[in-house]
Amino acid sequence: LGSWGRVYTVVILYLATLITLFWFFGKAWS
Amino acid sequence: MRPLDWVVMVLTITVIVSYGLWRARGSDTTDKYLRAGRTMPWYAMALSIMATQASAITFISTTGQAYVDGMRFVQFYFGLPLAMIVVSLTAVPTFHRANVYTAYEYLEKRFDSKTRTLVSIIFLIQRGLAVGLALAAPAIVLTVLLGWPDRITTLVMGGIVIGYTVFGGVQAVTWSDFQQMLIMMCGLGTALIIAIHLLPGDIGLAGALTVAGAAGKINPVTTSFSWVDRYNIWSGLFGGMFLALSYFGCDQSQVQRYLTGSSIAQSRLSLLFNAVAKIPMQFMILLTGTVVFAFFTFIQPPLLFHPGDMARLRQSPDYPNLQQKFDSAFRARTDAATRMVRGEQSRAEFQAAQQDIDDTRKAAQKLTGGNDTNYIFLHFVTNYLPPGIVGLVIAAILGAAMSTISGEVNSLATVSVIDIYKRMVHSSAADRHYLWISRAATAFWGVYAVVTAQFAKNLGSLVEAVNLLGSFFYGGILGVFALAMYFPRVGANGAFIGVLAGEAAIFALHFTGAASFLWYNVVGCIVVIVTGVLIGGARPEEP
Repeated sequence: LGSWGRVYTVVILYLATLITLFWFFGKAWS
Repeated sequence: MRPLDWVVMVLTITVIVSYGLWRARGSDTTDKYLRAGRTMPWYAMALSIMATQASAITFISTTGQAYVDGMRFVQFYFGLPLAMIVVSLTAVPTFHRANVYTAYEYLEKRFDSKTRTLVSIIFLIQRGLAVGLALAAPAIVLTVLLGWPDRITTLVMGGIVIGYTVFGGVQAVTWSDFQQMLIMMCGLGTALIIAIHLLPGDIGLAGALTVAGAAGKINPVTTSFSWVDRYNIWSGLFGGMFLALSYFGCDQSQVQRYLTGSSIAQSRLSLLFNAVAKIPMQFMILLTGTVVFAFFTFIQPPLLFHPGDMARLRQSPDYPNLQQKFDSAFRARTDAATRMVRGEQSRAEFQAAQQDIDDTRKAAQKLTGGNDTNYIFLHFVTNYLPPGIVGLVIAAILGAAMSTISGEVNSLATVSVIDIYKRMVHSSAADRHYLWISRAATAFWGVYAVVTAQFAKNLGSLVEAVNLLGSFFYGGILGVFALAMYFPRVGANGAFIGVLAGEAAIFALHFTGAASFLWYNVVGCIVVIVTGVLIGGARPEEP
């Protein structure tokens, strides 16, 4: 995948996306 | 438990253990027995890492926690992916290149034998206390709900774990974990789908979320900060990251999972899979608890989920009054929830009724002195899920317990043999000697777990005590490994005195009550690093 650096970047972006989705999920249903 | 449930449960566990033993055939050297000869693929290690972390109590009490406190517990895992990246970058290549069996063996290569021995002994005490609890916890809950005799439950579970762990070593542990994790996901997914289907009428998942949201249960991200609040995004990202760094980077029960990797890349991939899968898994467990909450909004639950506490409550003169209040609050809440799902304005009525229910339950728990969080999910499973599925969920919970215990017993034996016996007692025997000593040490720790589980009766306070004990020592150990990997100028004396200073800081923090336990690691680790760097204790020059 090019290098491990890219893999780690993808994991960090994934975490940020997950937290954002959870935040919207909480806003939508509470 | 109906006959079909017993068939499903026994068959599932038999297949898991048989497969693990079959994959472990030929573990005839110490290297194969303790490190799988470094042949493991990433997917086996990945699921083994997850299965070792997910114990029965994770399964049972996380769902209950969502019912009582909502989904904010998921934030506890926000720091885990960041920790997985740090461990992949540093600990994985360091341990692989040092060609070690245990994380603590590396500390002697980097510092000296006293640092290695100190950290090994801390690990043995800490994990030794936790392993009996991992076995006792599901046995206590199953005893209460299904009437299983707890002594026999712990003996049978412990016996199965000892059997495959002694015989097959780390390969049997890893491949059994692999299967157990798959069964856990199946059991959990099935329970969630059926819980949604069991919701009355046309409620559905959207209706369930509306109800749970109005009760304040849909709170997966809380941005307010407090030093003493356990679960918010900040304590999750920072405290959770340090806790995960300690657990995955310095605790042999996890380090041993990825030391079996066939290469650095395979070990890294296993940790990064965990980074990606862990938060969604915890979210699903919490979502299941939330749906169970919605289910019990429409189907009347008992006032308390612990049958023993409920029986004690019935003896109290306050019981009729409490039950009456609970019944009328439940009816008001159901009525308000039904109208709310239809789109009518009844949110305030719903919340008032929910508050009445919470107050009544609190008053009842005050009278009985018990906490029923661990009994909510299994009450739902055993009373409402169809035959066969109950057996699958119970097998998943037993599998969760066994995968955690086997990993802990396996790592306790490895540290006992490699860091204590081979280092201090008998350092130049043949490989076959160490293989048999490893088998004996595995059997010893397995029996030890079964014996200590017999004495664990008061579950809630025990879980808290073991978690607290873990947080006392994790910060210090993490600090030592951080010094070892990032501060090449710090030598043995700096590390040793650093640990003692870090531990002193953690105990001071605990006894002054200045911060929640998630912060102990952060403070302890920083004190170790600062002390180590200040003292230095420069490494001896290479001759």
